[in-house]
Amino acid sequence: MSKTFFTIFCLLIYAFLLAPIVVVVLASFNSGAFLTFPPQGLSLRWYVVFFHNEVFWRAIKTSLWIAAVTTVISSIIGTMAAIYHVQFAGKLKETVRVAMMAPLLLPEVLTAIALLFFVYTIGIGTQTVLPLIIGHVLITLPFVFINVSASLESYDVSWTMAARSLGAGPFTRFWRIMLPLIKPGVIGGALFAFIISFDVFTISFMLKSVGMSTLPIQLYDYLRTNFTPEAAAVSSLSVFLTLLVVVVTEKFLGLKIHRF
Amino acid sequence: MTEVSIERLTMDYGVHRAVDGISLRIRNGEFISLLGPSGCGKTTTLKVIAGFEHASSGAIRFDGNDVMQVPAEKRDIGMVFQNYALFPHMTVAGNLAFGLEMRKLPKAEMQSRIAKVLEMVQLSSHADRYPNQLSGGQQQRVALARALVIEPKILLLDEPLANLDAKLREEMRVFIREIQRRVGITTVYVTHDQAEAMTMSDRVVVMFGGKIAQMGTPAEIYDQPASVEVAKFVGQVNLLRMKVEAITGDGGMDVSGPFGVIKVKSIEGAAPGRAVTVAVRPEAIDLVSPSEGQAATIASSYYSGSLMDYRARLADGTLIDVQTFPRQRFADGEAVGLSIPADRWWPLEVTA
Repeated sequence: MSKTFFTIFCLLIYAFLLAPIVVVVLASFNSGAFLTFPPQGLSLRWYVVFFHNEVFWRAIKTSLWIAAVTTVISSIIGTMAAIYHVQFAGKLKETVRVAMMAPLLLPEVLTAIALLFFVYTIGIGTQTVLPLIIGHVLITLPFVFINVSASLESYDVSWTMAARSLGAGPFTRFWRIMLPLIKPGVIGGALFAFIISFDVFTISFMLKSVGMSTLPIQLYDYLRTNFTPEAAAVSSLSVFLTLLVVVVTEKFLGLKIHRF
Repeated sequence: MTEVSIERLTMDYGVHRAVDGISLRIRNGEFISLLGPSGCGKTTTLKVIAGFEHASSGAIRFDGNDVMQVPAEKRDIGMVFQNYALFPHMTVAGNLAFGLEMRKLPKAEMQSRIAKVLEMVQLSSHADRYPNQLSGGQQQRVALARALVIEPKILLLDEPLANLDAKLREEMRVFIREIQRRVGITTVYVTHDQAEAMTMSDRVVVMFGGKIAQMGTPAEIYDQPASVEVAKFVGQVNLLRMKVEAITGDGGMDVSGPFGVIKVKSIEGAAPGRAVTVAVRPEAIDLVSPSEGQAATIASSYYSGSLMDYRARLADGTLIDVQTFPRQRFADGEAVGLSIPADRWWPLEVTA
């Protein structure tokens, strides 16, 4: 009885969370001229429009490469921070954790404004893409950190000691033993970093250079003056892309690499 | 083939002194056990030998060469951990190959060495399994094989049998000891289990509070313990308070107690009139007829299959533990005689 109730409860939560996405995807197949739901007839009309819209394509490309660069930097720094946190921080462990999670705890807009002051104070300015990447790395770090830390909690330090006793130096120990064993956490964290960087609005809006647009910013710009299903088509593509990243990673890199 | 010498080794963790100036020479091919309760410094000593911990002072030499500044990965040691520490993402063969890859051995030699060692630990058919597909005992043997396949200078084992069940533990004792003999490798074995240390070692080093309390062959440790602490730690013991009657010229002394006057080895500080503690092991005592030995009555008895444990009460109320084979059984309350060979009494310390 209570189990049935719990199942229904979970299903309702999922429905609540996923319904807007489903609506957007359905709306993107609208054949009418305005963004409405339910759609007025089915067609791929707005996808065709979107595929010919160079502005959106440029924004998607920008978002993709920024997300890629962010993911790489964030994964490296976040993994190193997690290793320090779990294995070496000692009494500082809690402090390190709170510090690393801070970008998640602070309102994003606050972080964005603070960063804006910061980049101008130290003279980087917002003429280049650098501040944007710094911002993206900052807000994606907690996700890498938390995932890798979780993996490391089940990492047995005697594996490192065993590798040492067998003659492995620090570099080999990391590449051959630790990294493969915390891989699920690193990949999970990297996935989060990629998706969040691809999706983030506030930070990008504040720190982007003039004339540059990521996909969320481009969409926002577009929706201020237009209300066609093209926006839904763009959003749907972004949903499909995210799903694709998750499925591909799961399939080829293998999140279930742990053999316990 | 390596001789290990440890000289005045001290290890401090902040204000806590884990190892307190121990010195020890381990001969070529010798099997040494570091035995003691948890926190006695035995594992720390092992970690310092391995190079995982840096000693506060003292020296460690392998064949005369100081290795204190040599990092663990260059010390050429084989180590077996309590939880085995097998790499879960590698097969048995992969685990064994790891150390050989670090030594950049040719593929062919790697394979022949792995095959040879796997045969030695009787796991040839398991080369392609992953650690989680093996039983505890098999994982233990893989861990041993991984440590031996690199043909290290010394073999270090940190409570390797602690996670196994009792029956397997006894089998593995013999197994490890036989392999160690066959390979002839200098071995340091850390354990808190006195039976393990006794059955496996050439010499046992008993440690308390970071210091060596006694080192010697298992028989020396058991029959001639250096202190009350050692006597109690390495098995059951009856401790009796006696009075020194006379110091005899031949290095012995006469002491009196519930068993009348007996002659034991003289110890430091002994003088007529002083009180001494004298030990006798429960299995050194024979139960005979009341007329033939010291009269006593059986107070209680415990049957454990192969052995019989009695508690006997002397006329003055002293309780004595006796261990015999259950061939002849005595009932509670039965009058018996306790017979103790003169050489089984062992004086421990002067108490007053």
